[in-house]
Amino acid sequence: MIFNKVAQIITKNAHCKIEDVKPESELMTLGIDSLKAITVLFELEEAFDVEIPNELIPSIVTVSDIVDKLEGVHH
Amino acid sequence: MSHRVMITGLGVVSGFGLTTDEFWQGISHGRCAIRPLPPHDDLKIKVGATLPDYDEEKLFTSDELPYLDRFAQLSILAAEQAASDAKFTDDETLLNAAVIIGNAAGSKNTDEEVYEKIHKSKRPRVHPLAIIKGMHSSVASSVSRHLGIQGPVFSVSSACASGAHAIIQGSMMIQQGLVDVALVGGTDAPFPYVLLKAWEAMRVVSDDVCRPFSKDRKGMSLGEGAGVLVLESEEHAKQRGANIYAELAGYAMSADAGHITRPEVNSIAKTMKNALNNAGIRSEEVDYVNAHGTGTQSNDLAETQALHQVFGKHAKDIAVSSTKSMHGHVLGASSAIELIATVLAMNNGVIPPTINLTETDELCDLDYVANVPRHQKVEVAMSNSFAFGGLNAVLVLKTIDR
Repeated sequence: MIFNKVAQIITKNAHCKIEDVKPESELMTLGIDSLKAITVLFELEEAFDVEIPNELIPSIVTVSDIVDKLEGVHH
Repeated sequence: MSHRVMITGLGVVSGFGLTTDEFWQGISHGRCAIRPLPPHDDLKIKVGATLPDYDEEKLFTSDELPYLDRFAQLSILAAEQAASDAKFTDDETLLNAAVIIGNAAGSKNTDEEVYEKIHKSKRPRVHPLAIIKGMHSSVASSVSRHLGIQGPVFSVSSACASGAHAIIQGSMMIQQGLVDVALVGGTDAPFPYVLLKAWEAMRVVSDDVCRPFSKDRKGMSLGEGAGVLVLESEEHAKQRGANIYAELAGYAMSADAGHITRPEVNSIAKTMKNALNNAGIRSEEVDYVNAHGTGTQSNDLAETQALHQVFGKHAKDIAVSSTKSMHGHVLGASSAIELIATVLAMNNGVIPPTINLTETDELCDLDYVANVPRHQKVEVAMSNSFAFGGLNAVLVLKTIDR
């Protein structure tokens, strides 16, 4: 399931609890700053074998934004 | 007014281990940290002074490791030791200090990881912090971040004289009054496979051990590690009651503008003379020279001839040793590690030997402290670095009670 994998990668980089990662959680609030964000994007691309284009990044604010984008690029 | 420069802290990471004490115990007993490398069918280089049982995951966090190349890790470990050894009691001192770290080989470990991913594994992307991890200056900026230092921070590169050039830069800043304290030294981690293949092609690395000044010498042995010293103005050190190891009394820098690998005798002799003049030391006052002593035919002969030229009749009275025979040639870290070896020789009254010196070379006819350490008082000492590209740096130390 995409959400679970995304939550795992966010948890690893933000050092937060996995139960704190909810679809509506904002990445900045979870502790993902801009430097950690590029690492999260890299790990997502590796995990899902996709390319996340730069132009999608400004619209990523919450965890569900990532899940939606991944579902989009995946299909 | 020019401030005098004292050495008040030492930190070494070497093939002997992660501490200055392990380093000194090793070289002061004539032990060898050059050991077999993991077997590889395609490498003619079989030995090197690698760090024993090094585990980066035990020393750094998972957040830090993506931006810390091995050469920056070693720089941090040496700098932390040096700062701890200097026993600063207030935060302001470190906050305003300088950090100048030399490096020769660059971030070859990161380069190899990146090239492996793109060229060999054919992955479409590399880790996003590869740029940060691979910056040459990370050897200094990482120390600044780890120790909270906000003064002048940068790296220098001059091949195997990098550490000495960094030490001189820090010394000049203190002399000019720009800073009271400077953390200076060098670091290198030259064991990635591709870099070893490049060294192999140059045919300057010995296939067994490093035997400087021995007639049967076959070349250098590579080592990895870092050396960092705390330099401090005399006033600042005395005001806070610091332990002063020695005075960095003088130095000189030059370039051969000649052969790209073989030291030019006249040029390196001139550099040694200039360093003595800069220190206000007469040549007959020098007790010990920590030689560049790489173990190549050309370096050891040229250095011996230059020592004769500088010291004349006194040359044969001076103890000369190459500690590279024990800790290997740590490239950009060598001159810093060797200055620390020299400082410790002065403080312990023990001259570390040149090991593996088994066959007399009639052209290398000085006292090389062959094979066994020597208990001898050292009040004035010189440390030489003659790098590829013809870049030379010579440092002169004296005890503080002189």
